Amino acid sequence: MTISETNRAPRAVGRDQQQARRFRNRLRHDSAQVAIVAVALALVALLAYAVKEGLAQKGIKFSFAFLANAAGFEISEGKTLSFIDGFLPSFETFTSDRSNGAAFVTGMLNTVKVAVLAIIFSTILGTLLGVGRLSTNWVVRTLSFWIVEFVRNTPLLIQLVFWYFAVVLQFPPLASAAKLYGGLIVSQQGLYLPALSWEGDGSAVSIGLATATWVAVAGAILDPVKGMRRACTVAIVILIGLFFATGRISIDYPVATRFQASGGTGLSPEMAALLLAIVVNSASYIAEIVRGAIDALPKGQWEAAGSLGLSRRNTVNDIILPQVFRVVLPSFGNQYISLAKNTALGIAIGYPDLFNVYGTVANQTGHSLEGIVIVMISYLMLSWIISAIVSWADRRLNQKGASR
Amino acid sequence: MIAYAFKWSRHNLFAKPFDAVLSIVVIPGTLWLVYSALHWALTAAQWDVIPQSMRVLMIGIFPADQAWRAWTAVGIIGGLLGAGLGCVFGFRKHHALFLALVPVVLLIVGGGWQVPALTTLVMAILACGWVLTSYLPLARHVLLPAAVTGFIAVFAVMAPPGVGLWGGLLLSVLLTLVTAVLSLPIGILLAFGRRSRFSSVRLICTGYIETMRSLPLILVVYWIWILMPVLATGWGLADVARGMIGFTIFYSAYVAEYVRSGLQAVPKGQTEAARSLGMSEFDINRSIVLPQALRVVVPPLVGNVLDIFNAAPLVFIIGLTDFLRAGQMILANPQNGDRTYEVYSFLLLSYFLVGSMITYAARKLEAHMAAGSR
Repeated sequence: MTISETNRAPRAVGRDQQQARRFRNRLRHDSAQVAIVAVALALVALLAYAVKEGLAQKGIKFSFAFLANAAGFEISEGKTLSFIDGFLPSFETFTSDRSNGAAFVTGMLNTVKVAVLAIIFSTILGTLLGVGRLSTNWVVRTLSFWIVEFVRNTPLLIQLVFWYFAVVLQFPPLASAAKLYGGLIVSQQGLYLPALSWEGDGSAVSIGLATATWVAVAGAILDPVKGMRRACTVAIVILIGLFFATGRISIDYPVATRFQASGGTGLSPEMAALLLAIVVNSASYIAEIVRGAIDALPKGQWEAAGSLGLSRRNTVNDIILPQVFRVVLPSFGNQYISLAKNTALGIAIGYPDLFNVYGTVANQTGHSLEGIVIVMISYLMLSWIISAIVSWADRRLNQKGASR
Repeated sequence: MIAYAFKWSRHNLFAKPFDAVLSIVVIPGTLWLVYSALHWALTAAQWDVIPQSMRVLMIGIFPADQAWRAWTAVGIIGGLLGAGLGCVFGFRKHHALFLALVPVVLLIVGGGWQVPALTTLVMAILACGWVLTSYLPLARHVLLPAAVTGFIAVFAVMAPPGVGLWGGLLLSVLLTLVTAVLSLPIGILLAFGRRSRFSSVRLICTGYIETMRSLPLILVVYWIWILMPVLATGWGLADVARGMIGFTIFYSAYVAEYVRSGLQAVPKGQTEAARSLGMSEFDINRSIVLPQALRVVVPPLVGNVLDIFNAAPLVFIIGLTDFLRAGQMILANPQNGDRTYEVYSFLLLSYFLVGSMITYAARKLEAHMAAGSR
C-alpha cells in the first residue's frame, strides 16, 4: 500500500526545532513591533521638526510664556478663577488686565456652563419627546415625530444661527420687554430670571445651616445607606424652608430699566440662543435613543403591567422608564459628549466659549499652536470627565440591577 | 364616515382624560402655529428674494458665465448617484414620477425656462444611470471604474476657474462627496489597525480614533487649516483642499468605528473556515471578512454621509462660502435686510429635504439588507 508511505506527518519536527521556530516567530513579531514604534516616533519627530521650521520661518518661538502676559482684550461675559486671596479660588469678572491664562479659564468656564445646563434640559426635553413619540395621543405622537425628524435632518449650525438671528434678536428691546409672570424678562438684550440671593452673614448659624444642606444634598445623591435618600430629601426641603424663613436666602427679581436690567440672573442673547439650539438639537437625538430603548423592551412588560391593572401613566413611569434609563445611559453619555463638543459652534454667533477665546488669544499673540495644545487637552478632559461620570452612574444604577 | 371619524378620534385623541386634556391643549396650539406659519408664508413673506439670489445660494461666487461647469458636475454626480441607487433598488414607475416632479415644481415656482430644462436633463441622466444598473448586471461591474472616472471628471470640470471660487450648496455637496469617499479607505485601515496583532498598531489607531471622537469638528478643521501652511510650506494648498483634509481626518475616525462594529458582526467561524482552507491573513481579511462587514455597515455609513453633509456649513470657520454663508451674504445686502425669515426658512427646508431623502434611503437600505440576510 502506498498509504503507509504518505501517512507520516510531513512536518513532524523535533522539540528543539519547534522551540527554535517559536523563538524565530517571537523575534519576528518583536522586531516588527519595534519597527512600527520607531516609524511612528520618526513621523511624530518629523512633524514636530516641520512645524518648528515652519514657525521659525515666520519668526515665532514655541513657548507657553504668553499665558502669563496680560490679555489686553475684553470677554463679553463670564467669570474667571482668582487665586489671590485665600486658599479657595473665587470667581471674578474677567477684565482686560488679567492674563491670557485667565482668559482661557473664562472660556472653559463658559463652555462648561452651557454644556451642563444643556445636558440637564436636553435630558428632560428629550425624554418627554421620546415618550411623546409612543403616546396614545395621535397629535402628540405625530408632532413629536416631526420635531425630531426636522431637527435631526438639518444642520445644527443653521439651527443655531436661526435661533440667534431669527428668534432671540427679534425679541422686543428691553425698554418694552415682555415681563412674564414670575419676573421673567424676555428681551433682545437677553433673558432675565429671578435668582436666589444669599443674605446670610458669616455667623455660626448660617455656616452650620449651609453645611448641613450640602451634607444632605451629598447624602441624597450618593445614598450611602438604604432609605437615606428619603430622609436627606426631607432634610433638604426643611433646611431650604428654614433659609427662607430666617431671611438668609431671598428671591431677587430682575428689574428692567430703559437700557439695562438689574438684579436676578441674566442670560446674554448669545448664551440664550446657543442653549436653545443645543437643547432642542440634543433633545431630538435623546428622544430617538429613548424611543429605541422603549421599543426594544420586551412586549411582555407592557402586557404584564396591563394585566395587573396599572394605568398607562403608571406603566410608563414605574415599569418602562426605570428599565429604559438603565439601558440608555451609555448612549446618553455619547450624546452628552457630542453635546459638549457642539458648544464650540458658539463662535458662529459670538459666544465667548473656549474656542472663541482661543481664536482671540491666537490672533493677539500669534501663539496658535500652543493654544491648540491647551484647547485640545481641555476638550479631551471634558469628554473624559463626562464619560467617567456617566459610567459611574451606569455602574451605580446597574450594580443592584437584575439581569437584563 | 362621520361615525368613523368619531370612533377614530375617540381612540386616538380622547382615549383617556389625560389624553383629552393633552389634545385640547396641543391641537389648538399646533393649529395656530401652522396657521400663522402658512399665513406668513402665503401672504406676508416676500419670496422673490430666493429666485433672485438662487445662483449665489447654489454656487456661491462661482462666475456666472462658468455655470455650465457646475451643471456638468451636477450631471455627472446625478448619473453616478442613479447608478448607485440602481444597484440596490430596482427602477420603478413611481421613481420616474418623482424624478419628473422636480423640474415641474421648479417650472411652477418660477425662474425662467432655463433652470427647469437643465434640471430635466440632470434628472434624465440620473434615471439613465438608475435604469442601466437596475436592468443590466454588467453595468454594475463597471460601476467602480466609472465612479472613479466620474469623480476625476467632476474635479477636472470644476477646477479651471479656480478652486477658491467654489461655493454655495455645490461646495457642500462636493465636500461631502470627497470626505465620504476618502474617509472610507482610511477608516477601514484604522478599523483593522484597531484589532491588529501588534499592540503598538492597536495603541496608535485607538488613540487616533478616540482623540478625534472627543474633539469638536470645527476645531479639527480650523487647526488643519492653520497647520497645513506651516507643515507644507510653499505648497500653497487652497482653503477648500485644507477643509477637505480636515473633514477627512475627522470623519475617518467615525467611519473606523462603524466598520469596526461591522467587523465584530462577522462570525468567527468565517475566519476559522478560511484559515483552515489555508488562506493568508491578508486574503482572509480582504475577501472573507471585509465584504461581509461592509455589507452590515452600509446603512450607518449612509447615515454618516448625512452627518458630513449636515456638518458642511462649519467650513465658514476657514472663510469658505458654503450654503449658509451664501444665505448670510444675501442678507448682508441692505436691500434684503428684512428677509431674514425667508432666507433661513429656505436654507432649513432645503437641508431638511435633502436630509430626509438620505435618511429615507438609509432606512430602506437597512430593511433591504435585513431582508437579504434572513
